[in-house]
Amino acid sequence: MLLPWEYGIRNLARRPVRTSLTLVAMTTVVVLILVVVGFVRGLERSLSVSGDREVVLVYSINSAENIENSSIAAQTPRLLTASLSGIWKRFGVPHVSPELYMGIRVGVVDSNRAADLHDRTNTEAVSESDALGLVRGVTSQAPLVRRDVRILSGDWPGPNEVMVGELAAAKLGLPANQIVVGNTLEFESQQWRISGTFSAGGSAYESEIWCNLPDIQSATKRQDLSLVAIRLPPGGSSAEAELFCKERIDLEIQAIRETQYYGGLQQHYGPVRHLAWMVVILVAAAGFFAGMNMMYGAVSGRVREIATLQAMGFRRIAIVVSLVQEGVLLAATASLIAGGIALLFFRGVAIRFTMGAFPLEIDGVAILIGSCVGLVLGALGAMPPAFKALRQSVAVGLKSI
Amino acid sequence: MHHLKPLWRFNLGSMLFTLSLMSVNGCGTKTGSDLVDGESQQIDSVYVVTEEPADAIPVGIAKESVEGEQYLSLVGTIGGSAKPFVDGIAAFTIVDPKVPSCAGEEGCPTPWDYCCTQNQVKDNIATVKIVDSEGVPVASDARGLLGVKELSTVVVSGTVKRDDTGNLSIAATQVFVKPSK
Repeated sequence: MLLPWEYGIRNLARRPVRTSLTLVAMTTVVVLILVVVGFVRGLERSLSVSGDREVVLVYSINSAENIENSSIAAQTPRLLTASLSGIWKRFGVPHVSPELYMGIRVGVVDSNRAADLHDRTNTEAVSESDALGLVRGVTSQAPLVRRDVRILSGDWPGPNEVMVGELAAAKLGLPANQIVVGNTLEFESQQWRISGTFSAGGSAYESEIWCNLPDIQSATKRQDLSLVAIRLPPGGSSAEAELFCKERIDLEIQAIRETQYYGGLQQHYGPVRHLAWMVVILVAAAGFFAGMNMMYGAVSGRVREIATLQAMGFRRIAIVVSLVQEGVLLAATASLIAGGIALLFFRGVAIRFTMGAFPLEIDGVAILIGSCVGLVLGALGAMPPAFKALRQSVAVGLKSI
Repeated sequence: MHHLKPLWRFNLGSMLFTLSLMSVNGCGTKTGSDLVDGESQQIDSVYVVTEEPADAIPVGIAKESVEGEQYLSLVGTIGGSAKPFVDGIAAFTIVDPKVPSCAGEEGCPTPWDYCCTQNQVKDNIATVKIVDSEGVPVASDARGLLGVKELSTVVVSGTVKRDDTGNLSIAATQVFVKPSK
């Protein structure tokens, strides 16, 4: 015969301080697990949604896997357009996007003082921040190739204007209210008015700053490009572009599908992901031992009660089930609270990394993993102390204080 | 339960059959880079010839001497970059055999990229594309089509073209694969 369900619930309420402490400890463990899983899920999602299978990137063969280091001839887009028959065209417009992509120091100009900027010759003093930002010089053809890009507010950048991604502020380590339409950024010794903001379906572009290609070429005194992005027709093959790059050895370029490029980056960040999963396991193990310690304390103070239950005729297994029920109830409550905290306070929090920024992804999978770990902690953590308490004889247990 | 028994037997039989197929066709097959030195693959391809053309010239010499378009046989070693084959088209790059590739003992995972002798590669590399009777590149992976892999030495015959910037390419109709040493 099992102990009544209410018995376990009442037991939790009988020791409010101990129950509360155990609850706080378990909640902390589950929140930590949710944050770390959210980090891994966010990183994985950012890299997996970055890249379109029908987009081919043409960039320097000498830049290894880093497009920031790539430098190709300015004539490359024209050569590609003239030589490749497999480029997607609509209304006679080839979907080819020449781009200059670089990581440069970006400052934010105080909006109250920005009005004075045009009168000043030395504007360095008004720069409030100086963080490494990702700037992409593009033409009006970029949206033909980068189809995930959506303007959220403002307009496409005009001369000496920029459009900033949703996560650009996080990448720059600034509050979001500083990177808004109408404010001014400073890089390459020039001021750039923010004309608009954009999203890109969670991809890496969201942490970038976009401006007009000729403007950034002029500001950086560069004539070259970093890459050319080409859109293929639906189901098109990248073989023609790859063959062109192999044949034009003098151009020193290579072609790769965008998905392959980001797939390579995902492999590059593999050790970070493995480390994060190790942290999940270590945090869970620490939580398991902390929970077990709490349960040992909880059970050791109830030896007399357990012996009394045995004397009343309850079987040992029924008492173990009741103790596990208490642990699982507590763990389930902790998981619910932790899930709420994670969704309210951590979901979408932007994390900076070398390639930009990504939001913590507290999604269904993260909640499932966190809750499962919490429940397993509650069930397994209660068992060893329960078995220990039951090993004592009933007579000795009844005499204990 | 009696109704389930025949289904179970069928499933077990299917699984064993599938596993046996996998062991015969899947796991045991070697293609491209899976081939080890000394192994040769029997390829039944209209593009592969069994007799080595006698008048083949190395890529480096062709790069200096060819003007415009000529029908020639070139000898070279497949390589020149970490990924010398083009996916989806029977095309690859070859390097003059006189240019030494990185020694495997040096721990280089991709000795066919000639990373140790990169400065010599530019003047000794050519692009090979296998074309059909109409001159259209064959839409098939060269490794499967010709039974070659990285660092295979090949003699390719076809129309050699050198453009204004010095890039050498050959639209090959015949390939002789030299046996590995």
